[in-house]
This record gives sequence, C-alpha cells and structure tokens, in this order.
Amino acid sequence: MPDTHFYHYDKYDRTLLSERVEQFRDQVRRRLAGELTEEQFKPLRLTNGLYLQLHAYMLRIAIPYGTLSSRQLRQLAAIARKYDKGYGHFTTRQNLQLNWIRLEDAPDAVAMLAEVDMHSIQTSGNVVRNTTADHFAGAAADEIEDPRVWCEIVRQWSTLHPEFSFLPRKFKIAITGSPNDRAAVRIHDVGLRLWRNEQGETGFEVIVGGGLGRTPMIGKTVRAFLPKDEMLAYLEAVLRVYNRYGRRDNLFKARIKILVHEIGIEKMREEVEAEYAAIKDSALKLDPQTIEAIAAHFAPPPLPHRPAISGEVERLKLEEPDFALWLKSNTAPHKLAGYRIVTASLKPAGAPPGDASSVQMEGVADIADAYSQSEVRVSHEQNLVLPHVAVEDLPAVYRALAGLGFAEANVGKITDIIACPGLDYCALANARSIPVAQRISNHFANLARQHDIGDLKVKISGCINACGHHHVGHIGILGVDKNGVELYQISLGGDVDFGKTALGDIIGPAVAADRIVEAVDALVRTYLDRREEGERFVDAYRRIGVEPFKESVYAAV
Amino acid sequence: MAKNLSGDLTVASANRLADGVVVFLDDKGHWTRHLEQAALARDKRASELLLARARAESFSVVDPFLVAVAEDEQGDLEPISLREKIRVSGLTFEAIAADAVRYA
Ligand code: SF4
Repeated sequence: MPDTHFYHYDKYDRTLLSERVEQFRDQVRRRLAGELTEEQFKPLRLTNGLYLQLHAYMLRIAIPYGTLSSRQLRQLAAIARKYDKGYGHFTTRQNLQLNWIRLEDAPDAVAMLAEVDMHSIQTSGNVVRNTTADHFAGAAADEIEDPRVWCEIVRQWSTLHPEFSFLPRKFKIAITGSPNDRAAVRIHDVGLRLWRNEQGETGFEVIVGGGLGRTPMIGKTVRAFLPKDEMLAYLEAVLRVYNRYGRRDNLFKARIKILVHEIGIEKMREEVEAEYAAIKDSALKLDPQTIEAIAAHFAPPPLPHRPAISGEVERLKLEEPDFALWLKSNTAPHKLAGYRIVTASLKPAGAPPGDASSVQMEGVADIADAYSQSEVRVSHEQNLVLPHVAVEDLPAVYRALAGLGFAEANVGKITDIIACPGLDYCALANARSIPVAQRISNHFANLARQHDIGDLKVKISGCINACGHHHVGHIGILGVDKNGVELYQISLGGDVDFGKTALGDIIGPAVAADRIVEAVDALVRTYLDRREEGERFVDAYRRIGVEPFKESVYAAV
Repeated sequence: MAKNLSGDLTVASANRLADGVVVFLDDKGHWTRHLEQAALARDKRASELLLARARAESFSVVDPFLVAVAEDEQGDLEPISLREKIRVSGLTFEAIAADAVRYA
C-alpha cells in the first residue's frame, strides 16, 4: 500500500539529507584513519545522533512526531538487522535507539534511513530536538485538530536553524491537539496545546519552562491563546529570549525552565512579547497556502464506512476474557464510529519495555498494511499504535499482535512501565532500570489483577536525567548509587494528565534493589485496601496522602 | 566475591574506536577484549604509568581510563563498580532474540 497520507520530503529535504550522509561518511573515514581526534570528531558524530555508550555506539533515530509509515518501520527493522543485533528500543521521545551500531557501519545505516526520508540529525546537542506529538494524532475522537501539521512546520523551521544551532542547552517541544493531553505538554521546554476559544477559533496555549531532570518543573502559560498562523514567530521569540538570557555558565542551570523560574513567568512573558512584537509580521508569519500545503500531507486517510458494532467482536468478548480486557485497555475511541485506535503493547510480561525485534517491527508493519492504512505511531509511553483499525477487524488484529507478543492487555496498567535504558546501556546511569521493570512486570503479570488495580503508571529512570519520566509517574522510581550500591528512590503522585500535571513526592529513604518489588506491592496493597469506588491509585494517593503508603512500604522492605 | 588482596589495583580500559567494544590494555601494549589479559597496576605510581601508556596507545580506541579492580586468590580480576562489571560482562538481562518472536 503506498504511503499517501504522510509528509514526504521535497527535493530540498532530500538534497540536504544526502549531502549530510556523505559529509558524515567522510568524517567517519577521517576519524578511522586517525585524521580527526576524538575531541574533534565527537561533536560531529553527536550531531548525527551517534553516541558512545557503555558497550557500543548507539544511534538515535528521530521519528518525527512519532509517525511512521509501514515502509519506514520495515526499513528500521532492516537497519537493526543489518547493522545492529536485530532489535531496537523505542524511547519516551518517540525516537528509536539502536544500541549496537559499529562506527564503521554508521554512515551506511544513516544512508538507509535517508532512503525512507528519515535521519538522526538533531537527536543530540543543544538544539531543537524532535518535536513530539499526541500518538493518537489524526485519529483520536477527542481531537480538535491534527497537531502533526504544526509539528511538521516546527520541524522544517528548526532543522539546522542557524540561529538556534548553539542554544544554552537542548530544547524539546511537544504539541497536542486534544483536550486530553497525551503528549505531556507541561513537562517540555515548550508545550503547545491547541484549543478552541469562545469565538470558535482554534489557537495555541503556549506553555514554557516545563521539564524533568535534576530540577523538575511544570511549564507555565506564557500566552493563553495564540492564533495558529503566528506560531513560528512566537516560537522564534521564545527561542531568542532563551538564547539571549539562558545560562551558559552552569550546565545544570542552562535549560529554559531555570530561566523561567529565575526571572518569573511575568518577566518572561514581557520579554517574549516584546521580541514577538518586533518580528510578528516578518516572513515567519504563516500564510494560509503554506499551512494548507503541509496540512494536505496529513489529510485523513480515506476510511470507508464500517459498522460500529461487530457480532464477532461481541462473541469473542464473551468467550475470551483476555480479548475483552484487551479491548478495554488497548483500544481507544476513533473519530469514526466504525474504527478504533489500537495500541500494540511493547510490554509483554517480563520484557524490556519499549524493545522490539526486527521480526516484531516487520510484523507490526504488516498489520498496519493490512488493517491500519499503513500507519504506525510511536507513543512516548514506548508502545506502538495502529491508528485506524476497523471495529470488525479487531479480532484479526488482536490475533496478529498476539503472534508477535504485542497483545498484552496492559496499556495504562501497572506493567505498562516506562523505563529508560539505565545502567545496562547508558554511560550516564547510576543504576539499572530495565531489570527492575522486568521484575515488577513479572510480579504483576496476571491481567485480571492488573485490571482490578486499574490505571497505574510506573515510570523508572536510571539517573536524575529522568529519561524514564519518574517525576510524573503515579509511582516514580529513580535509581541512585550509594557507595557503589544500586538503590531506588520512590515517589508518588506524579501525573501528566492535563490540568492535573504534578510532580511526585519522594516518600523517604531509597529502597534496596532486591526489595523494590515488595515496595511496589506494598503500595498497591495499600491502595486496594483504602480505595473508594472508581478511584484510581493516584486519586487515592491525593485523598489519603503519603503516610499510609509510606508506612506499608517501610514495613515491607 | 573477589577480594582486593593487595591495595589499589587498576587496569586501563577504553572502547574500541571502530565498534565501541570494551577493551583493556595488555602487558604488550595491545588492546584486548579479555579482562584476564589486562595489564595490572598494583599501586598509584604504576596506575599513572599504565594510564599514560594507554593514552599513548589510544589510536584505535576512545578515551582510555583506569578501572579499579579486585583480585581473588586465583588471581582473577573483577571490577569493583557495578558499572564496570556491566561493561565487562554485558547486559544483565536477556535482550530480545534478534530474529525470534519471543512470545509467539
Ligand atoms: S535517565 Fe539517566 S540512565 Fe536513564 S537513559 Fe537517561 S541519562 Fe541514561
């Protein structure tokens, strides 16, 4: 099936990319020949997304706004098979990391990416990184507008933007087009939330200064309503203010969140608005033709009418309890009544969260071709999404996903754990993340029990950089290193839901690695004992506070 | 658990330039994948010399550094920190089998 409703690179994009591949090939050749020192080469490889981790090089591939065609996903699988160990890791930034790339092969790997209009540029360094979006974009029943149109505009503007190629620190933007924020816009350097005002116009709420890491902050609204065609000029103004005043003297204070915190949101607004007033009528104002031309790439696929109710689905619901649970947790309402959005869980019991083998990627690509208009999305929760599945096709999709190990009915449940790569791979880590996730996942594997426990987001990071978003987990787990021993700090009550965004509270001393499952089990038991009708874990925590949870954890460990 | 029987033991390690693989400097000044073949420095002065040699031999590797190790009664070496243990022994869990669907 041709990928018709995707953004296609134009000749400028393609020329730029092929030139970059050849430059990189030459840089790698010169490094291997000893013509470049590591000091000279490191910034060049990082610009191309190539990191050196504990055991190998890692290539971080940008998946713009988490959208992939089946063709692109197949190519990622092929690259992983040819140049890696046949698997990859989908990240909380909707990227894919290949963990075992040889430097010698890296230019060929990025050349293969370029064949399908993809790259790994700007996945490192102090630049605007891949813009992330709601993974249900273009399909969600609650969506006001497809945010990817605006992500793509940001991508084109920010790619190799000369003024912003040396920011004080990295810069992450997320955009959502739905009132139910699935893109976590309040924990990004800039979050854009599309909403409709009383006059019926849609525009952006512009949020700045959110972020996790060492100093977690929830973003603040700098502009409540921004007309859409002014988005780029406004972003440029925000970036200019940051570029001018952001702290370059201290790595730990260089993110925009610190600037906003230090000068206050009022002063930030004043600065941004003043800058904006000076440039708002410049070439950055988006004309309707430009917007329409880009929007045309994201036109909804031609979905034929399909019945909203299927006898086969109803029958299976009664006969197969796991299917019934899967329908509840792994499918979501689509704009059209005859369709559902399906999440393929990359978290089968005991698996490394977010990992998929080449065979599994190809399997998902095949399912997308057969049942979801060749479209796949990557969620920041490290799952894959099939955005347009007809209700009637759900049993077939369920079976096909089950064949890949991706039909675990656990989306949003306690085993749908976000975990960063941690000390098994990452050179910055203090402690391991993946084995902790695996043990929790195995302990709570029973699906009926998971559904009884209900929505519960566990997020694990291997260090304070918080790639695993532990600050906003209902249960957050942070690996720390105390005199060479791995310990895990537990926090409760974090949330990324819009209007409820909150940072978790640390409950007390860190817990030993071999007691972490007991600790989580104690938290869950406390919740089950104390919950009221319909109350989620995080709601119960907000009502009864930390004490009962704390008591049970420290009694159990 | 290996015991450090004779003070501040170190070996020199790095990642191989071409593929990032973890390597150690041996007595002949070659980089080896095997910790047991690593040149062992038994005191501070020897460590400094070892690091200097590693840097001088760093054409085919990236950023050599010293790793603190312990030696057991049989003379087997083991890094002291968990990070370095993982660098030596690899992932502490089973990665997805490359061409197999795990749960099918
Ligand atoms: S949170 Fe820390 S350990 Fe985990 S991937 Fe990020 S930097 Fe590495």
